[in-house]
Amino acid sequence: MTFAFRDFRSVGWSAAVAALVAGTMVSAAQAQAKDVIKFGAPLPLTGALSPEALKAKQGFEIWMEMVNKAGGIKVGDRKMKVEIAFVDYQSNTPKAVQAAEGLITQEKVDFLFSPHGSGAAKAASNVSEKYKVPTVAATASSTQVFDQKPRYLFGTYTPNETLLAPLFPIAKRDLPSLKKVAIYTRNDLFPLALSQAVEQTAKKNGLDIVFNEKYAITALDHSSALSQLKAAAPDWIFVFGYTNDNLMIRKQMIDQRLEAPLITMLTGPSYPEFVEAAGVAGSENITGASWWDAAVRYTSEDVFGSTEGYIKAFKDKFGIVPDYGHASYTVAAVALQLAIEKAGTTDREKVRDALASLDAKTFFGPIKFNEIGQANSYDPPIFQLRDGKTVVLYPEATKQGDLRLGVK
Amino acid sequence: MIFVQILVNGLVLGSLYACIAAGFSLVWGVLNVINLMHGSFIVLGAYLALGLYLSIGLAPWWSLAVAAVLFFGIGYLIQRFLINRVIAAPVLLSLTLTFGLDLIIQNAMLYVFKADYRSLKLDPALGSLAFGSVVVPVDRLIAMIFALLLTLALYIVLRKSRVGRAIVAVRVDQGAARLLGVNIPSIYAIAFGIGTAMAASAGTLLALTFPIAPVASYAFLGKAFVVCVLGGLGSVPGAVLGGLLLGLVETFGAYALGPEFAVMLSFGLLILFLVVRPQGILGRWGFE
Amino acid sequence: MSKYIILGVVLVGLAAAPLTGDTYLMRMATLACMYAVMAASWNLIGGLTGYPSFGTAAFFGLGAYTSGILATLGVALPVSIAAAGVVAFVVAAIIGFILLRLKGHYFAIATLACVELLREIANSATDLTGGGMGLNIPRNADLGIFAEASLFFFAMWGLLALTAVVCLVVERSKIGFALSCIRQAEGAAEMIGINSTLYKTLAFALSGVFVAMAGGVYASWVHYIEPGDVFDILLTIKPVVMALIGGVGSSVGAIVGAIVYIAAEEVIWRNYLDFSSGIIGLTVVGLVLFLPHGLGSLHLRLRGKAVTP
Repeated sequence: MTFAFRDFRSVGWSAAVAALVAGTMVSAAQAQAKDVIKFGAPLPLTGALSPEALKAKQGFEIWMEMVNKAGGIKVGDRKMKVEIAFVDYQSNTPKAVQAAEGLITQEKVDFLFSPHGSGAAKAASNVSEKYKVPTVAATASSTQVFDQKPRYLFGTYTPNETLLAPLFPIAKRDLPSLKKVAIYTRNDLFPLALSQAVEQTAKKNGLDIVFNEKYAITALDHSSALSQLKAAAPDWIFVFGYTNDNLMIRKQMIDQRLEAPLITMLTGPSYPEFVEAAGVAGSENITGASWWDAAVRYTSEDVFGSTEGYIKAFKDKFGIVPDYGHASYTVAAVALQLAIEKAGTTDREKVRDALASLDAKTFFGPIKFNEIGQANSYDPPIFQLRDGKTVVLYPEATKQGDLRLGVK
Repeated sequence: MIFVQILVNGLVLGSLYACIAAGFSLVWGVLNVINLMHGSFIVLGAYLALGLYLSIGLAPWWSLAVAAVLFFGIGYLIQRFLINRVIAAPVLLSLTLTFGLDLIIQNAMLYVFKADYRSLKLDPALGSLAFGSVVVPVDRLIAMIFALLLTLALYIVLRKSRVGRAIVAVRVDQGAARLLGVNIPSIYAIAFGIGTAMAASAGTLLALTFPIAPVASYAFLGKAFVVCVLGGLGSVPGAVLGGLLLGLVETFGAYALGPEFAVMLSFGLLILFLVVRPQGILGRWGFE
Repeated sequence: MSKYIILGVVLVGLAAAPLTGDTYLMRMATLACMYAVMAASWNLIGGLTGYPSFGTAAFFGLGAYTSGILATLGVALPVSIAAAGVVAFVVAAIIGFILLRLKGHYFAIATLACVELLREIANSATDLTGGGMGLNIPRNADLGIFAEASLFFFAMWGLLALTAVVCLVVERSKIGFALSCIRQAEGAAEMIGINSTLYKTLAFALSGVFVAMAGGVYASWVHYIEPGDVFDILLTIKPVVMALIGGVGSSVGAIVGAIVYIAAEEVIWRNYLDFSSGIIGLTVVGLVLFLPHGLGSLHLRLRGKAVTP
């Protein structure tokens, strides 16, 4: 019975089924010999978050391919190829923590990416802090993730508060009668953080919050809450949750003939899948925001050269236009790459310092981290869905149209 | 007026719940098997409806017939060759078996359909009916009518047909049924097949109302549990009453306490019923 | 081989993990101890007493939150873990007293509903638990990687040793005899003067205590908990499967089952990127159909004897 833990891996590798796979793993490890930089990415390939994982994987792959095609990452005077170890953490946060530790100690990765979302990134950051491994979080936007001032964690999303605040002056200008606001939020870390941010901004702007409720993560039906929301006759409705919640709620809004001058949903409308599932009519004039949109235009010092360069490379490889889900993961990798190049070494401590003082132009926007490690260097785009396409309303530099009122 | 609206919401939602739970209740009541695959069968039915609509334009209520036949066969085979082998064992084994099978189905669905949420949009959209300020979505109304018809059909089959009477006989007294020459393993397989067919048919109707994705199955399964206990095991009219009760409790609960408490309320009700009236509204004491 | 020898070998073998200095291995060993505690605890009510409880996750989450909240208030780790055990004992005794009049699937569903209910309560009691925002548990002073891994490994290992001793004592004692009687024929047990309500409730409460303490250790080990993580249905189902692997009814079997399961899961997880849960499902199905009495019945199978479920 002592077999199990004296050398755990030898048990695994002796298993007949595993032998072949394990063999390739070993030879890959031997061939490594330090001309390769290895990154670790725990992804929720199965389970509730798996749609995100596919995007994340593509986002990483396009970067890896482009970098390796260009000869690798420039470290001092030589070029080092890139390798990413992917692990499925089954959309289960404890497993994400385990995966992070496994990547560091077993796969011997040099640098790490956080698992998806704020909660898992927070949990896994305890591991990367412990091992002092620079880690970039692609999708952690809640300031709570960074509030204990992690030393090795950097997030490429700007804080949640920055996401919707710029829409308020636009809305007030175009809808002078704007007064009543309703907020309907999934009881979960990221949506709750959005909801709190909007609640504060609304109050600051002198608006009344006439409806503010949370729904359970497993809710199937929203009809009762929406009937109440309708009775409150708000001018502006905010719905926070993930794509499935947004779809379900949008459908039930239409069923109940719930209309308002302004309806803002997050995060659904940022994804093409939302429009596809909700339909062009069902998504018309809905406003949303995300940290990136294919409509933004930046020139960059990264491997893509510009936002257009990124979109083209992505389209060539995967045949679709990337959405912010893909781009968020690509930019996390880009930020690490630029920091390594700036440090001129793969020494973790030096790369960590290079990240902390990074000020780089990327296809995603300028990336610079504040004192707690969260990016604060770009304006996340606000957009409106029209004819199934996103029309950017803000920032001015990439604006494609004016706000239209009326969502049916 | 909002009171009437919420009443209507609750009744319509309740009949969807009845439709989710009827097959689950039958299997639990007759076979004493808690079928953890039930939610996945519903989702598979929804994918079938989506596929048939997108490929040949078949409306979901017609896909229902296809789903019923196809999934009766699948359910029959699963019971005949897998679950029947552990049916006499302690309840734990059959439960674990369906758990393992569900893991396989879930993973396969993820592989085939991908994890994205899809939805079945009819063109033109069905919209909703308005009675004064009270609105009723037409898709839910259709699902409600078919759900009630389906459960009625199940009820008639169980009461009137030879096979149905054999199923009821097995449920009431297995020993006596065997003495009367009922082929028990075969009846089990038929009952499980009917349960599976009910799940998949429900799925074709729900495709109109809810987004479709592999992970959606757990929410359906959770509702089936609650409805089944409220209504009473194995009782078809019980499933309808249990569904309606749950629908009303959830909608009025969300109204009175806030939507975040709707789920809590339904599980609280479940425990209360188990303690106070475990036989459900209409059922009899089931297996121990 | 007597079960005591097996248990001794397992515990000593696990304790050797830190000798390797491999902190990932130690994480796996800590996890194995955690699940072994849960599987052995489940065996008290599910195996010995014959009540199929699906409430394991309820006590795990309860313990994690009890000790997590106390830790944020500055209570020391051993005290907060002990408190988790006490709270779980009381709550389990109350729940058990109410629900243990149910049997079979009814009992299973009622306990499962307790998990859902407690999760929703944790989600809604935002002031206390942080709700969906999760709860941060402060790190103890920076110990260094190996020292921290050792601390939590030995905490979990110690808990497993304690659980094993208590389970074995219960099995051998008058309580164990009473519980077996209840499993075989509850009515008859009552007739020969066994206070079945008392013993069942005691078994259920005991099955909650160590699970909650494991939850407490877990919370300070990962520093961050969310309702969905610690009231996870998988935390309820895995211990049952582990007990099945070991052969229901034996606490040593449950412990061995937990270790085998964790090891197998890790191998499958590492080698099959996106079909790992399906393969775990296949394994579970194979186990139920071919080895319903656990790995212990393997020798019967191999000798061609019929093993009926």
